[in-house]
Order: sequence, then structure tokens, then C-alpha cells
Amino acid sequence: MNENLLKLEQVTYTSINHDPLNDVSFSLARGENLVLFGPENSGIETVLMMVLDLDETYEGSILYKNMNIKELDYVGKHNYKKEIGFVHGVYGLISNMSVEDNISLPLEYHSRMSENEIKKHVSRLIYELNLDYCKKFRPVDLSSSEMLRTSYARAIAMDPELLLIQHPSEGQSPLNIQSFIENLKERADRDDRSVVIVTYEPEKFIDFSDHFIMIFSGRVVFDGTRNEFLDSDNRYLQQYKSGSSLGPMAIL
Amino acid sequence: MEVFYTIPVSIGKKALGIWAGIRDFGNYVKSIGLSFKSLRYLRFRSLYSTVINQTRFTGIDALNFVVLIALIIGATVIIQAITNLPKFGTEGFIGNVLVIIVARELGPLITALIVISRSGSAIAAEISTQKQNREILSMEIMGIDTRLYIVFPRIIASILAILSLIIIFDLTAFIGGYVIARTTVYIAPETFLQTALDAFSLKDLLATFIKSLIYGILVPLICCYYGFKPRSKFEVPIYVSRAVIRTLFTIIVVNVIISVLFYF
Repeated sequence: MNENLLKLEQVTYTSINHDPLNDVSFSLARGENLVLFGPENSGIETVLMMVLDLDETYEGSILYKNMNIKELDYVGKHNYKKEIGFVHGVYGLISNMSVEDNISLPLEYHSRMSENEIKKHVSRLIYELNLDYCKKFRPVDLSSSEMLRTSYARAIAMDPELLLIQHPSEGQSPLNIQSFIENLKERADRDDRSVVIVTYEPEKFIDFSDHFIMIFSGRVVFDGTRNEFLDSDNRYLQQYKSGSSLGPMAIL
Repeated sequence: MEVFYTIPVSIGKKALGIWAGIRDFGNYVKSIGLSFKSLRYLRFRSLYSTVINQTRFTGIDALNFVVLIALIIGATVIIQAITNLPKFGTEGFIGNVLVIIVARELGPLITALIVISRSGSAIAAEISTQKQNREILSMEIMGIDTRLYIVFPRIIASILAILSLIIIFDLTAFIGGYVIARTTVYIAPETFLQTALDAFSLKDLLATFIKSLIYGILVPLICCYYGFKPRSKFEVPIYVSRAVIRTLFTIIVVNVIISVLFYF
């Protein structure tokens, strides 16, 4: 496996507004895909928030390509954010822009491509994600599947090395999410690109990733491969998979 | 006796609140200044559509209303001047009255008030809604400096729109007002034109330009500031209302300050 793309070292975070983290450490190699899961309020959203550099008031360090993101200056942060893609759980599409304008936005803002090159690149993404029929629509006219695909197209427009996807299966029909995973797999199979999926339904992404991490109460309670995820007798994992109220996790 | 304690305490609290607000606004302005660091990484093409749309909404779409108000104000001032100045034996100063009242004060001020009530409120509401829909967050995660991407093009658009609207307001008030006023009182067109031109100076032009520049910066700056504020949907109307009221107040104060600096 390649060198580390992302590494969290003893990240501890306390806040009134967000779920706390307690000594969270894990790493993601370049080309590796990760499924990060756990129940609500477990801290998975907080991990995402920290990696996206939305809060710096944590202890420990988050390293991206061995650079501590907390220590990056304004330009360093700007470049870091250019290199990561993010699909928001509520999509975050710009409401006064059409599908193609939303996808063009990061390219228009960051890239050195000409207008023609941007147009071609966006048309290709629109075609690949089957958004051609709704490319002129605004987000208000889109279904949740179309919004997910538009948000995904926008996130990969700059071909980021690290792509983070928040709850892609939420509010999607099983057929739609299957088709989305097939699209995602093309990207996930590349050796130079990594994808992190934050979800409540890790079993839906079983064929997609070989690395699974479960967080509960701000701590990593399971970190293993696909086979370990399937066969482990970890009590947290067992309870999570069975959906039982009996076990080490007190679910309210 | 208790009143002797509660009044100073509440005044003090209010003063501290105002001071905290001013400091927060100062930090916001400073953060916009810092955002200019990323100008060299910014492709200006991404701002064009915002500048064009905002200029169209603030300037062109407001034109009908500005022209209508300018006609009414112009006609009222001219009718009042023509009917009242002779009583004081100062009918020769009609041009001066028009320049002082319409060009120097009412033109810029009323234009700014129209822009605040139409575009200022729209800017604050749009940004608040975008914030609640996580659109602003998405942009920030994409590495888009929202201060630069949202505030900067609106400032450029507002300066262009307000300057154009003030010029149109003044011209409409003078010409249209004269035409309407002729239906009630008579004044020779050449006399009217000559007195207006004689009264107009370079200082008036400069003051108009400076007012439009300052209003063009302040209106979007304050309205965007309040647009970024709401933390929940419940707070959106509160901050939109604050944006309008406080921008109005600031513009009126600034108008007085500029007038004092130029003409006192």
C-alpha cells in the first residue's frame, strides 16, 4: 500500500455544540477507501468536520500528506481545500445555479482551464452521471437522486485526491444508491484516489471498501478490514449490525 | 431609588452591546481585507455572473421606481420653489434650490433608500437562506473564499448601480420635474436650464461620486454582514430586518457627514 494520505493522531475534542472525540487515531493510505460509521452522536460527523478543517479547537493532529492541517496558513488551507472533494449529506447545491453551473463552480473558481475546456469537462461528467436531461434545472426541481449525483459531480470536478461523502444512502431508493455505488467504484478502484464514506449503513458499502472504522462515544471501537468487519466478534460491531438494544452501546 | 441604579446599568449594557457589535463588524471587514490575499488564486470569471446579476437587479430592475420617485420629488421641489421663492424676492435662485435640495441631498439619499429597501433586504435574505441550506458551507469546503465570492462582486455591482441611479435620478428630477411643473406654473426653459447649470459646480459632482462610492460599499457590506449572521431559520427575518434598519441609519448618518465635510 502507498504512503499515508490522511492520518489522525490522538484527536480529542470537546464542545457544547458538537459530539466529542476522545483520542481518535487512524490513517488512510493513498488509494485506500474507508467506510466510517457509528450511531448518531457517536462522533463520526465531528471527525468529518475536523478533516474538513471547519474547527481547529481540537487536541492532537490531523495530517494530510504529512502536513498538519492546523498549521497551514491561509494559502496552505486554500490549496488543501482545493485537493479534497466533499459531498454533503444535504447536498449543499447552490440554489440559484443550474446543475451544470453548480458542477462548473469549483472549476470556474480554481482551475486554469479555459471556458471551452470547462464546458467539455462538465458535459462529460453530466453524461457519465446521466444528468443530461436536467442539466438546466435548478436544485429546487431535482429529485434527491439527481441532487446526490450533481453534488458528487461537483465534488469530483477538480479530480480531488481525497473525496469525502456524507451519508450518501440517506433518503435514496436502494436502486439509486446501487447505481451511485457503481459510479463511485470506478473512482474508488484508482490507486491514486481515496474515498471516505461516512454512513449509518456500512453494509451497503461492503464491496466498495476494504477498511471499516466504527466510532462510538467519540472513541474508535472497531478498526478492521472487510473480512474483519464481516466476521469479527467485536461486541460493538455485533450490536450495531444486529440493531439490538442489548450490548455495550446504550442507545436512547 | 432603584431607578438610579437600573438606568445607568441598562445604558451601560446597551453601550457595551453596541461596542461589541461595532468590534464584530470591524473583524468582519478585516476578514474581507484578509480575503484579498487569495485574489491571485481567484479566477475573476467566477464573479462575472454575480456582478452582472446584482447590477441588473440593483440598477436596471429598480429603474422604473427610481424614475417615478424622481419625477414626483423633482416636480414637488420645482413647484414649491417657483411658487415660494418670489415671496422672498429670490426667484433667480431656483437653480440653486434645485441643486442644493435634489442633486446634493435628495438624489443620493433617496436612491440609497430605494437600493437598501429593494436590494439590501434581498442580499441579506439570500445569504441567510444560503447559509441555512448549507450552500455557504459547501462553498467554504470547496476552498471558495465566501467573503470574496459573495461580498466583493456585490460591492462592485452596488457601486455601479448606485452611481448610475443617482445620475438618472438627478436628471429625471430636473428635466421631468420641470415638464410636470410646467402644467401648473410657467418658467422659461432657458431660464430654468441656465440657473440650474450656473448653480451646479464640480464640488457637487465630486460629492455625488463620493456618496455613490461610499453607499455602494456600505449597503452590500452591512447587508451581507447580517446575512451571514443567522444560526437558524428562525433568526432569518430578525437579521434581514436589522440589515435594512441599520443600513438605513448608517447611510443617513454618512450622508450628513459627507454634506458637512463638503459644504459646511
